[in-house]
Amino acid sequence: MKKILIAAALLGSSTTAFAVAPGGPGCGWGNMLFEGKSGMPMHLLATIVNGTSGNATFGMTTGTNGCDTSGSLTYSGQSLLAMNGVMEEVAQDMATGQGEALTALSMSMGIPSQDRDHFNAVMHENFASIFPNQDVTAADVMTHINQVMQKDSTLSKYVTA
Amino acid sequence: MPRWQALLHINPGATLRDRHKSYVDDKHFFFADNGASDPQAELQASIKALKPADSPARCRFPARYRFIAGQLGWQDPAPFAQCPDYLQWRQAVHAKRAVLVFPASYLNSPSSMFGHTLLRLDQGDDDAVWLSWAVNFGAVTTGKDNSLLYIYRGLAGGYPGRFNLVPYVKKIQEYSHMENRDMWEYTLDLTPQQIDWMIDHLWELKDINFDYYFFDENCSFRLLELVEVARPGADLLDGLRLAEVPVNTVRTLDQKGFVTARHYRPSKAVEMDVLRRRLSRDQQALARRLADDPSLANGDAFTSASQGEQAIMAELAYRYLRLIHRKEARTEEVAGRSFALLTLMNKLPATEPPVPAHVEAPEKGHGTQMRAVAGGQHESDDFGELTYRFTYHDLLDNAYGFLRGAQIEGLGMTLRSTESGAAKLQDLDVVSIRSLAPRDRFIKPISWDVKGGIERAWAGRYRLARYVQGGAGASWRLGALQPYLLGSLRVENNSEFSSFVTPGAGVESGILYHRGAWQGQLGTIGHYFTNGEYRYTSQLAVQWALTRQQGLRAVFERDDWQGGGEDEFKLQWRWYID
Repeated sequence: MKKILIAAALLGSSTTAFAVAPGGPGCGWGNMLFEGKSGMPMHLLATIVNGTSGNATFGMTTGTNGCDTSGSLTYSGQSLLAMNGVMEEVAQDMATGQGEALTALSMSMGIPSQDRDHFNAVMHENFASIFPNQDVTAADVMTHINQVMQKDSTLSKYVTA
Repeated sequence: MPRWQALLHINPGATLRDRHKSYVDDKHFFFADNGASDPQAELQASIKALKPADSPARCRFPARYRFIAGQLGWQDPAPFAQCPDYLQWRQAVHAKRAVLVFPASYLNSPSSMFGHTLLRLDQGDDDAVWLSWAVNFGAVTTGKDNSLLYIYRGLAGGYPGRFNLVPYVKKIQEYSHMENRDMWEYTLDLTPQQIDWMIDHLWELKDINFDYYFFDENCSFRLLELVEVARPGADLLDGLRLAEVPVNTVRTLDQKGFVTARHYRPSKAVEMDVLRRRLSRDQQALARRLADDPSLANGDAFTSASQGEQAIMAELAYRYLRLIHRKEARTEEVAGRSFALLTLMNKLPATEPPVPAHVEAPEKGHGTQMRAVAGGQHESDDFGELTYRFTYHDLLDNAYGFLRGAQIEGLGMTLRSTESGAAKLQDLDVVSIRSLAPRDRFIKPISWDVKGGIERAWAGRYRLARYVQGGAGASWRLGALQPYLLGSLRVENNSEFSSFVTPGAGVESGILYHRGAWQGQLGTIGHYFTNGEYRYTSQLAVQWALTRQQGLRAVFERDDWQGGGEDEFKLQWRWYID
């Protein structure tokens, strides 16, 4: 049964599995690479056995897309933004003023729940100055967020240096 | 199971390998030489190793220390003072709430069809779960190995299994965004103290190797063991668990009263579909064009729509662009269009979050095994049939909680006895997978199927033939109907045919119907073989879901071949069990 399952898996998944990211490091906005896996067999195996490639991470170090390797990913807004694909989600949430990415960002910046609606509204209003073009980097975005927060009487106290 | 046994991962008899021994395949996990098979000896060796106040062993086994200290009344206000790594890790990894996460199957990837389970540790009790930790058990593979052999090894236990811990946002991106899998999140009834046991024990499992077997000792099985550590005596591993299908893990925890809340996280593709349905056909077409050319937002067709509709069109166009380009390298051109659409969205009112109105929890679906009895008539011959299927779901089985148009069956067998003869094997399915994924204006998946086994096929008379067949094509959804059309290839080993294997090619087409408890299929499949033979089978089948675990199916089938044809009708009662 196992061998046939494998053959079946191969036949079946070719359409999705060929869509493997061709690579290209960098941390500009919009760089959405599927990290870690290369080629169809690896992708399939990863799906079947829920595998991880190489050393398993254990909470201490977590991969980024090359912008930040500090490892303290979830404990400052900047490193969260540097995670693969997160900036795209944040951009979408800021454009509309709602969403989980925005919640995660505000939480990672230490903004308590009572001020999160206000944070969302301010980010929404200032979307154009936080994301002035499609080439901004995570560091740019973080700087812009801090600039916007600095000007807001409620949010200025949460600005991190 | 007592906590000490849980901490050592002793097999209480749940699987056949290593009964009453530890599942851990790593000598670093034991102090006693025979620790893997003798929990008592391991306890004594652990007491000896953990007793000294400055013992470095405490840094590796904090949960064991807590257990022994609690039992023997050891008093030490700072038992881990010499363990900066552990203390630092523990500061980062803490939780108030534990959640079982079940990424459901998705069409077009059979390897996902059984689903997966992982555990989420939430630092707070709010909905800010991106920053939670995801505890995942999986095989550790090496990136340089890149061949089919390694898939085989992955299934057959050739790779070690390990726990890992990553931010949950990575799992959301992997499943919901990249693979378009819906995720189900079940809050577990565990206190923060019980969760602490689990986290301390997780640290003990850092870099520790288990065997990984796809069918039983997999992700789901290991998570049940973790919950046993948190709350010993839950008896989650009672009975033999020969194939741990992830949805059964959810059922087990649900039945034992562990599940206090359920949350559905739709995939990006489902969200897009909800948005799409809020628009008229013309507006959907416009949204699709908008993705190619954001400047259409200045045209009359767009600006004459209401603000709310404009917002949905802009968001749909943006989401479409991200969906199709998400796995590709960034290009300036696509990024430019995406950015233009985001800017447009920013100027329009926010849309209502796209949540489907009707969702069906996977654990409420029918059981994974099936038995059936049937009676019918083939031409003028009456027959009776018994069927058993090990796993899992076909296109007409009770639909509740399953993905429409998806089928995965493994190890099924039917015996038939007729008036004129003794009981005989009618068919033996080794595997049968179908993925009929509907195409729409935005998403255009390929439909396909693959099947192999033994069945009775006409060659002078009905003979047992060994075969493998597969096809690819397309499918669409029109209300309750889902038509499909696939090209099909078959290779057959038939004693009547002169060559050992005879290849054939043909077509498969039909319509699926689904409404409430009713499912139907009208379809035909035909093959022309290289030896000049041809055959086709047409079928009209209807199933009525009597209850969650029972279904009644009526099938009318006609087989045609060169120079003849025969009819068959049968009525079948299908009973699903776990």
